[in-house]
Amino acid sequence: MNDWMFFLLLFLTPVVSSVPIVFAYKNEGWTEKLPYLSVFGIFVSVLMSLHILFAMEGQYSYPWIPELGINFVFMCDYLNSYMGVVTAVIAFFIAIYGLDYMKGDYRPSWYWFCFNLFTASMLLVVYSDNLFLLFVGWEGLGAASWGLIGHWFRDDDNISYVGKAGRKVGPLELSWPPSSGGWRAISTIRFGDVPMFFAIAVIWVLSPTLNISEIEWGTLFVSLGAAGTIILMLCFLLGLFTKSAQFPFSEWLMTAMTGPTTVSALLHSATMVAAGAFVFLKVTWYIEPWHLHDVPGVEQIYTLVLFVGLISGLYGALCGSGLLERKVLLAATTMSSIGLMFAAGAASFWIHHEVAGMNFALLVAFWYMATHAFAKASLFLVSGHLIHATHSRFLCGGFEFGKRFKPAFIVTIIATTFLIGMPPLTAYWIKSGMDEVMEHLYVHEPHIILPIILLVTTSLIYSAVMARFLSLNFIKGDKPEHEHLEGGGLMKLGYGLMVSVLFILLYLIFTNEETEGFVHAGYLSVSLAVGLGALIVYAIALFIPRISIFSRVPGTFFSDRMYLPFLNDYIVPKIGFFIAYIVQEFGNRGIDGFFNTRVIPGIFRAISRGIRAIQTGPLSSYVKIVLGFVMLFIILASIGGISL
Amino acid sequence: MNMLIFLLLPLIVAFIAPLLKPKSATYLSSIAFLLPFLAIIGCLFNSCPPKIHLMTFSPPIGEFYLHFDMISHAFGLTICIVSAMIALYALPYMTHRFGEMELNVESEFRKYIFLFDLYAASMLWLVYSGNFVLLYVFLEITLITAFLLIYTYGYGNRKWVGILYFLWCAAAGVLTLAGIVILAFENNTLALDVLLAGGTVGMIAWAFIFFGMIIELPVLGPHIWLPWAHAEAPTPVSALLSPLTVGLAGYVLLRIALIDYSFIEAYRMPILCYAIFSSIYGGFSVFKQTDFKRLLAYSTVSQMGYVLVALCLGPFGFIGLVIQYMSHAFGKSILFSCAGGIIAVHHGLRDLTKMGGLHDSIPQISNAAVLGFLNLGGMLTIGMLGEFFILRGAVETFLKPESPAFITWEGGLALIIALIFMFILSVWYGFYTIKKVFYGKPKDTKRLEISGYLYVPLYIIAIVSVLLLFPPLSTALIQGLNAIPGLGLAGGVLP
Repeated sequence: MNDWMFFLLLFLTPVVSSVPIVFAYKNEGWTEKLPYLSVFGIFVSVLMSLHILFAMEGQYSYPWIPELGINFVFMCDYLNSYMGVVTAVIAFFIAIYGLDYMKGDYRPSWYWFCFNLFTASMLLVVYSDNLFLLFVGWEGLGAASWGLIGHWFRDDDNISYVGKAGRKVGPLELSWPPSSGGWRAISTIRFGDVPMFFAIAVIWVLSPTLNISEIEWGTLFVSLGAAGTIILMLCFLLGLFTKSAQFPFSEWLMTAMTGPTTVSALLHSATMVAAGAFVFLKVTWYIEPWHLHDVPGVEQIYTLVLFVGLISGLYGALCGSGLLERKVLLAATTMSSIGLMFAAGAASFWIHHEVAGMNFALLVAFWYMATHAFAKASLFLVSGHLIHATHSRFLCGGFEFGKRFKPAFIVTIIATTFLIGMPPLTAYWIKSGMDEVMEHLYVHEPHIILPIILLVTTSLIYSAVMARFLSLNFIKGDKPEHEHLEGGGLMKLGYGLMVSVLFILLYLIFTNEETEGFVHAGYLSVSLAVGLGALIVYAIALFIPRISIFSRVPGTFFSDRMYLPFLNDYIVPKIGFFIAYIVQEFGNRGIDGFFNTRVIPGIFRAISRGIRAIQTGPLSSYVKIVLGFVMLFIILASIGGISL
Repeated sequence: MNMLIFLLLPLIVAFIAPLLKPKSATYLSSIAFLLPFLAIIGCLFNSCPPKIHLMTFSPPIGEFYLHFDMISHAFGLTICIVSAMIALYALPYMTHRFGEMELNVESEFRKYIFLFDLYAASMLWLVYSGNFVLLYVFLEITLITAFLLIYTYGYGNRKWVGILYFLWCAAAGVLTLAGIVILAFENNTLALDVLLAGGTVGMIAWAFIFFGMIIELPVLGPHIWLPWAHAEAPTPVSALLSPLTVGLAGYVLLRIALIDYSFIEAYRMPILCYAIFSSIYGGFSVFKQTDFKRLLAYSTVSQMGYVLVALCLGPFGFIGLVIQYMSHAFGKSILFSCAGGIIAVHHGLRDLTKMGGLHDSIPQISNAAVLGFLNLGGMLTIGMLGEFFILRGAVETFLKPESPAFITWEGGLALIIALIFMFILSVWYGFYTIKKVFYGKPKDTKRLEISGYLYVPLYIIAIVSVLLLFPPLSTALIQGLNAIPGLGLAGGVLP
């Protein structure tokens, strides 16, 4: 088989395999069977991604518009090959789960087509080396996610809403139906996409190539100067921050939970929100900023990303500590994790430490991304099953319920403990690496202590939130009003498979060459202290998941997401509609009135009436006209006489 | 010679189709545009003769001929596919409309199909005209046919709207004609190839043509005829008027700019700022509309701002202009047809305040509308390339140190932000409209039966617009455009 066949199969099978169900949208019999074909399409992608991981390396290029440097260029390097497998495998497991979860839905064709389009787009983002090609995938992500978030467009089922009905803050009701979830997602994302596209256009002009691995970033930045570099990178980063829901663009992610749970799991843990952080890592990988300390502007950009990441991390974790909705809580922590990925990636600017030829900070960020993806996707899938089982999107379910719902209970225990950085489980080693990186920023250049403080605080709050999720769903939560525990075999299979990957990752950390830095970091006393701290907080939060004195202040403040919804739902729309009002009422009406309906037609009408009056009017009007002229003549003559 | 036959086909069919029954007339018209479409696609891959001589007049008119280059092909293939599909779409729609107006369907259809075919064919001929006199003649034919269609089959106070449209566009035509006449005396010819080889366009001629064409385009100020005409025209006419006709002003301006770019270079900044402002203005106007077709008309104002922006941005902007025309034509023809579909299925429903949740009753139309807005927003369709080239044009013109119009990064920041915001706005109003019209609580969840004519053609347009983003079509198209002197990398040849 030729190389291009692998890529063709990788990207096209998911899309092509979901076309039949689109055509069969009217036939209920077929729409029940055809999802299996769609899942098979994703399975082919999994096989291809594995093949690429094990058997292909380097750059593969196929012409598109070669004169202008737009080509199908795929890069099979360390980052892309692993991320490709992560993406495809997660999508596949979620698709299996979805076969059960989406049974009997009212729009199966739409769901499966968007789901598969989304998977293909994400794979395109992952593998592509050409920035334009990457952007095609990027737009595919945007469009498909909009379709999936607003999947239940009828807004008729409260279970798909986000926020508590009737919760009002000032003029806003903090409750969102799916249709507005979709709109908020696409509007926020587009706000970042166009600047990013502009940045790509700048690179297109000023660099001889659009291939990330071949652009001479250092030369490019030098030629742009400090201001140029900062504006260019800000534009580029705006795309990544909006897609990754970093502060203050995080609101769309919270209301994206109006989509089906499979969508929340796929888009909002493993792939779409991670895409921003992933592209950042991918670009940083080739920018090699640690060699660019003399180039003006680069340091400012990396400092900015570091702090945006850390602040988003803290913000997400704090919001998570107040939220009571299953999926929204997870979304907030996702945002937090993605923030940490950005921060770790940005720290690479100051880190010269290399393991197996790769920058340590980037490795930390990437491995955290992979671990987080599997753990968080498992948690999302569990909460989807819980929502089905209890008919409630709020945290509920006591120990009795937990005992009867063992698979989900066990998976939640594994996923949370593996994720929070509790020694000696998977994320511990990676978090240790992250601690080491942030500590490095304090001990060595640039001597700032804030990053390590923010990281440790975030980690502790994060682990409390995770324990709270476990506790309120399975141990100390209220008894659910409704229990429906039968069936759901494929769902259990889905999250069972998903969580088992965490063990494989743990195994890989100890066997791979490039991850020995993590193991080394794990034995440092600082890391151990942070890990034990996370463990203690986790244990405490497990037994005291709610602290009643905090439930109003700051609990409500956190669960209202620090009133950030006002940005999306009040400030921006108010300004926009005010301008629209001015434009419509004064601009359009004014121009219309002047040209088309009032002034000019009025003048014509008046003149025409006057002229017609001369032609057809009665004798008296002629007399009046003549007298008028006589008067005029007399006045003019007298003025002339005086002046003479 | 082959191309001449293909181009004559729609003109001939315009006279034959009225003799047939509505259904066969529709199919005949559609085929008459599909065949040239295929021929043009063939031209993308195999080189066609650059010109076909028609006749020669004495100076200052010069030779009449058909001009074949990639610009004409790009416009031509857009006109062909959209006209072919809208012809099919019009069959149930116009039948419904005649019924509504209590007219005899068969006899009215004869008049209608004649005007429709002539209207579309004259646009096709316009973009292949190798002489400005010929071009002007076809410009006026489009005007008259469209006027008659609005006047006889429009909605609301259609006679008033028809005259309004006629007056504005006649003014545009007269100004352009004045410019063309001056052009003729300056160069002693109006043949395009002679002009391209070394013609000059004086400032006065440029000014006449420019002001004429921005009325037709239209931009802020003269734009006000457009919401009337687009909203009250029968939908198949709206679906040609807005996507195809108004953008042809961009085509004329591009041709003039390729002959002599001095006017734009002299007034680049004011024109560019005006264009961006006009586009953003149009975008904001969309949010306040309560009539679906009027909303789309304002979106056209916004999109035509892109065309004028692209015109100011040099060789890469020109490629952007051509592609922007295509993507807007695809998107807007789909969207107007969707609006028409709602009117046909929901008994004249066009008030946005009464819509919401329509996806349930007409999912086919709702999904087509999504594809239409993706085209306008430049997502996943050929519009992406259009946006990319316009952005590249901006960078080439203002941020490349070698460019004569170079402004520094700090100085250009406001311009960059405005340009970016202009593109953002399209997607915002697009998806806002979708949410408002199709999503939300449905009033009626029953799926309505809808004729395939009303949506299948729209998907074909959408598929074409997606295919045009990918090889081999985009490769051939962009390579062809890029090879024309004055466009893209060949831009250095610009006089």
